[in-house]
Amino acid sequence: MSEVIVVTSGKGGVGKTTVTANIGAGLAMLGHKVVLIDADTGLRNLDVVLGMENRIVFDLTDVIEGKCRLRQAMIKDRRFGESLFMLPTAQTKDKSAVTEDDLRNICGQLREHFDYVIIDCPAGIEQGFQSAVAGAEKAIVVTAAEVAAVRDADRVVGILESKADIRDPKLIINRLRIEMVQRGDMMTLEDMHDILGLELLGVIPDDEAVVVATNRGEPVVVNEQTVAGRAFRDIVRRIQGEAVPLMNLESREGFFNRLRKIIGFR
Amino acid sequence: MARQYALGGIVELPTKVVDGTLRSGVSVRFEGNVVVLGDVNPGAEVTAAGNVIVMGVLRGTVQAGAAGDERAVIVAFRLRPVQLRIADHISRSPDGEVFNPNQPEMARVRDGTVVIETFPPGGERQGKN
Repeated sequence: MSEVIVVTSGKGGVGKTTVTANIGAGLAMLGHKVVLIDADTGLRNLDVVLGMENRIVFDLTDVIEGKCRLRQAMIKDRRFGESLFMLPTAQTKDKSAVTEDDLRNICGQLREHFDYVIIDCPAGIEQGFQSAVAGAEKAIVVTAAEVAAVRDADRVVGILESKADIRDPKLIINRLRIEMVQRGDMMTLEDMHDILGLELLGVIPDDEAVVVATNRGEPVVVNEQTVAGRAFRDIVRRIQGEAVPLMNLESREGFFNRLRKIIGFR
Repeated sequence: MARQYALGGIVELPTKVVDGTLRSGVSVRFEGNVVVLGDVNPGAEVTAAGNVIVMGVLRGTVQAGAAGDERAVIVAFRLRPVQLRIADHISRSPDGEVFNPNQPEMARVRDGTVVIETFPPGGERQGKN
């Protein structure tokens, strides 16, 4: 049984692409066959985050125009054996190059061969967004713990439910700074739940390791030593259908202290 | 003792029932009363010629008495609006710390301004008088 999931947020810069890359890599590590589609035509990033920029020959728009076969445009991430593929989009065209029917059609073909088809949606609610959600049956909404991001997420959820007919999107809260929440300087999980009312798929603590990993083109989920990496692993298991309790966010400092101890003993 | 009425007098307009929460970006307009069975989130707006009743948290923008009727009221289980408008009176939430009681409230026009009262009126339970 395959699933087509769109990762969306409304607001830009909250981490859609990072989440897409890490969930994809995480599912691939567990042996699922995964394909990631970059739907952000003109502003593609997924290839960079995965470190595959230099391997793009054909892209989504070439497939749509019939310049190549779907298979030819898909790039295999060799770090994950035969499990993880990416379908890049064009950087030199705009959103009008990919219609809703195009993505519906391509997702339909891909789901025959993959366990998970994950679409990285562009920011905004215009045509790029409309196309990206058209082929999906499930959605993951990414937000940051800020009023503006939550407002936009709320808007997107409304559109998903009414126009795209995607029921019960799941929520990922990205870049949470627990010490700021404790000081009362950042929205709490309860604040966000009160407004959005979505099932929480996971919380990713703010972690420098994500920046380092992204710049290196290596998903942070690979590294179990990082807090964000472990948060992504939990999320991936929840996507698989496992019931994984929310990680104790306060234990973060404890974890580092433990780590320091281990290193100190050597 | 005369019975106290909650509404300002508009009781017989047609009523639209919104079955669920209004999310950001959604706009509901109606030539009568509007009852929302859910929350009104920030960025959502409700415009009604009559009263607006929110059976949840009102965090968005609401206009009651849109055709100019000052008797219109806005009732919500929790009143946390960005802005309230009744007829042509506009009021916004005060800056800084706000006292937010955990009980239903009602906004109405009194002496030319929008005032907020506890709901039911008087803040007392109705006894058998």
